[in-house]
Amino acid sequence: MNALEKQFAQTVAEHKSTIYTVCYMFSQDADEVNDLFQEVLVNLWKGFESFEHRSDIKTWIYRVALNTCISIDRKKRRQATARLTMDINLFEDRDEDTRQVDMLHKRISKLQPFDRAIVLLWLENLSYEEIGQIVGISTKNVSVRLFRIREQLKSIKD
Amino acid sequence: MNNDYQNPQNDMELDAMRQQMNTLKKKLDQQQIVNDHIIRQSMRKTAKSIKTRYYAIMALSLLMIPYTYVIFIERLGISLAFWIGTSVFMLVCCGATYYNSLNVNIPNAMGRNLIEVSNRMARAKKFDANWLFFGIPAVIVWLGWLTWEFYQLDAEMTRYMVYGIVCGAVFGSIAGFRMHNKTQEQYQEIIDAIEEITAEEDA
Repeated sequence: MNALEKQFAQTVAEHKSTIYTVCYMFSQDADEVNDLFQEVLVNLWKGFESFEHRSDIKTWIYRVALNTCISIDRKKRRQATARLTMDINLFEDRDEDTRQVDMLHKRISKLQPFDRAIVLLWLENLSYEEIGQIVGISTKNVSVRLFRIREQLKSIKD
Repeated sequence: MNNDYQNPQNDMELDAMRQQMNTLKKKLDQQQIVNDHIIRQSMRKTAKSIKTRYYAIMALSLLMIPYTYVIFIERLGISLAFWIGTSVFMLVCCGATYYNSLNVNIPNAMGRNLIEVSNRMARAKKFDANWLFFGIPAVIVWLGWLTWEFYQLDAEMTRYMVYGIVCGAVFGSIAGFRMHNKTQEQYQEIIDAIEEITAEEDA
């Protein structure tokens, strides 16, 4: 493994939860989440060398992950050839924690992909500026959209 | 960090969502990335080999019922009770094998949690090992009964029959133990593969 690969592996290990959370929120079953996770890793690797650290690495990872998940969601899944994944099945596990996570998943899944991305970032405690940078809209626009999403979420029953 | 647009503290719904997100993060932070595909492929291959052996045992157990009827009842004239006993033993063998095959026969094994697969394999391995505590005494009783049945038929010939029974028992035991050991090793192989990856990732 060369230095770049080692650095990439370390970056992925540090942000695995972030990447998996995005994939999970854009998936409907365990296979899909694994496919998305793999696809995001492939896209991160493709851009890793050219990433110039002008923005925070976490912001970049979010951008790649969300772009991948949104575009795959539009194209309706493309099978990945290899599988690197997390040894967890949030769609089939039955413990209390997973039930809570499932409630969140069901709620967020009812939103449009773009809104899903915004609320996901908001739930991750990112600032409006950061959210705007990731999804490519102004801070003001983030605020307006979040207000609408919030109203929408409140009306969604579990 | 955010968020100034509304006060989430006062909003139960959104606060609950934040907590759910934290729960998800906590769960994911405990996980490791694994090369799922390679493990599962090798696991599937080994599990398939065990399944094939189990299906062969089940088929053989069921075939033994009409076969022993022809040999014991029609040709040798051994008691009907012995044939019924043999048939019950065969059915128990078949049922136990089927029961254990359910642990190996995991629908969508490739998409399942590896820990769950590992637990199932450990269960199947234990059941397979424990089966000997019933299987060995049952075979000894069966062989004793068979000898007694021959003795009832022809006391003079029993001595020669016993040689045959002992030879059959020795060769049968060797074959049976080899098959048993192979199955146990294969179960262990699957469990070790999963544990190895988990240990690697933890290190």
